[in-house]
Amino acid sequence: MRTALFLLFSALLPTQALAANQVALANDVFVERVSTDTTGKQRILLEEPKVVVPGDRLVFVLNYRNAGAQPADKFVITNPLPAAVRFADAGDTRPLVSIDGGRGWGQLEQLTVAMADGTRRAAQPDDVTHIRWAFQKPIPAGGSGKLMFRGVVK
Amino acid sequence: MMNAPVGGAKHQLLPSCSILALLAALALPMQAQAGGTRAGSTISNTASASFDTGAGTTTIDSNQVDLLVDELLDVTVDSSNPADVPTTPGATGQVLTFSVTNNGNGVENFVLSTIANAGGDNYDPVVTQIYIDNGDGVFDAGTDTLYTPGANDPELDPDESVTVFVVATTPGAVVDGNRGIVSLVAAAVTGTGAPGTSFAGQGEGGGDAVVGSTGADGTDAGAFIVSAATVTLVKSAVVTNPLGTADPIPGATITYTIVATVAGSGSVSGLAITDNIPADTSYVPGSITLGGSGLSDAVDADAGDYNGTRINVALGTVAGGQTRTVTFQTIIE
Repeated sequence: MRTALFLLFSALLPTQALAANQVALANDVFVERVSTDTTGKQRILLEEPKVVVPGDRLVFVLNYRNAGAQPADKFVITNPLPAAVRFADAGDTRPLVSIDGGRGWGQLEQLTVAMADGTRRAAQPDDVTHIRWAFQKPIPAGGSGKLMFRGVVK
Repeated sequence: MMNAPVGGAKHQLLPSCSILALLAALALPMQAQAGGTRAGSTISNTASASFDTGAGTTTIDSNQVDLLVDELLDVTVDSSNPADVPTTPGATGQVLTFSVTNNGNGVENFVLSTIANAGGDNYDPVVTQIYIDNGDGVFDAGTDTLYTPGANDPELDPDESVTVFVVATTPGAVVDGNRGIVSLVAAAVTGTGAPGTSFAGQGEGGGDAVVGSTGADGTDAGAFIVSAATVTLVKSAVVTNPLGTADPIPGATITYTIVATVAGSGSVSGLAITDNIPADTSYVPGSITLGGSGLSDAVDADAGDYNGTRINVALGTVAGGQTRTVTFQTIIE
């Protein structure tokens, strides 16, 4: 059994110091493991993985912080999805997604994919290549926040 | 005072249909195969943020997180026989066909074994050999590879399948309708166990090997069904004489009737009815009938013949549930 660091979902905190940049972005990846305790109750644990296997559910957490003195306007966070990860969901953070390598963007339910026979089908989470959050208002000085999305190892 | 992130409409930029189609095609090679991301590969994630603090747009990258993909050990075995395979008592070289598939994400060898005594059937087939198919899907002991555990455990790439033949002997004591089950078991050489069991450092590409949902061993059952037939012969005789009675006096005619009844789910082949002409009687030429139709005495195209001492009717292959009726006549000397 490999050494594993178990963290409860509620205890999820930025584990990496934010850089001394004006604006910092920290990236953490956890794997969701379902464990059943002695009473048969299922608990979802977030483990900081060194290794993963196909089918593992990953939780990507992005912590941003504006450590500068000026508001950060036109704030956009983009996460290209690793090729070996299938997008699952982004909770209620409503990101824009791209299904064509970052060229076009939209809500997933608005995007369509061309089929070989000329018809179009609705885009699926499987099609997602990039995820993007575009903030409509500036991040004030000292402001911070957290974004997340889930994916599955293909 | 935080603003919720919104997928703003101003960022929406739907490309034209033709460009999207091209891009979708380009994106296809990114799809991983069914067996999953190859063991030993690294998943790297980096996000970026762009913003404007008054001095133009700045872009920063996050830290990079690298995850090594471990080898997942998964295998399935499927019987390739759509129905029970017919066999007969005492038959050798009876073949069941299976398919073994590596559902894991790394190259793996699999140990093969069979179970014939698990119950749930009427008899235990005696497994004599296991053969690895040469790729044509058809069993041929001359071209397929005889399997020896530990010596040539089949090596399968992720998603690769191999056809395996289990060769068995049917015991002589079985009877029609008996069923005999043989299961083929394939187990990952690296190890098996409960899903999640980990074998440190033994995965392809230097990671661990982790048992997947199949337990890293697979099994499926195939079955033989004994399809045998039995033959019963019933012979009767009717005497007629010129006096119009049934007395067996000289000059009386004896009509013999032989009924062959085949029972069982199988069939008998090469069935022939032969009867010697009794002493002190003489055969009535041309009197052989089969199913009411006359047969000639010569050895020729029809099924019957008389050679001076006996009659013979060749019935060939007769399936279970059928009867054949042969008659011939003699005269008491």
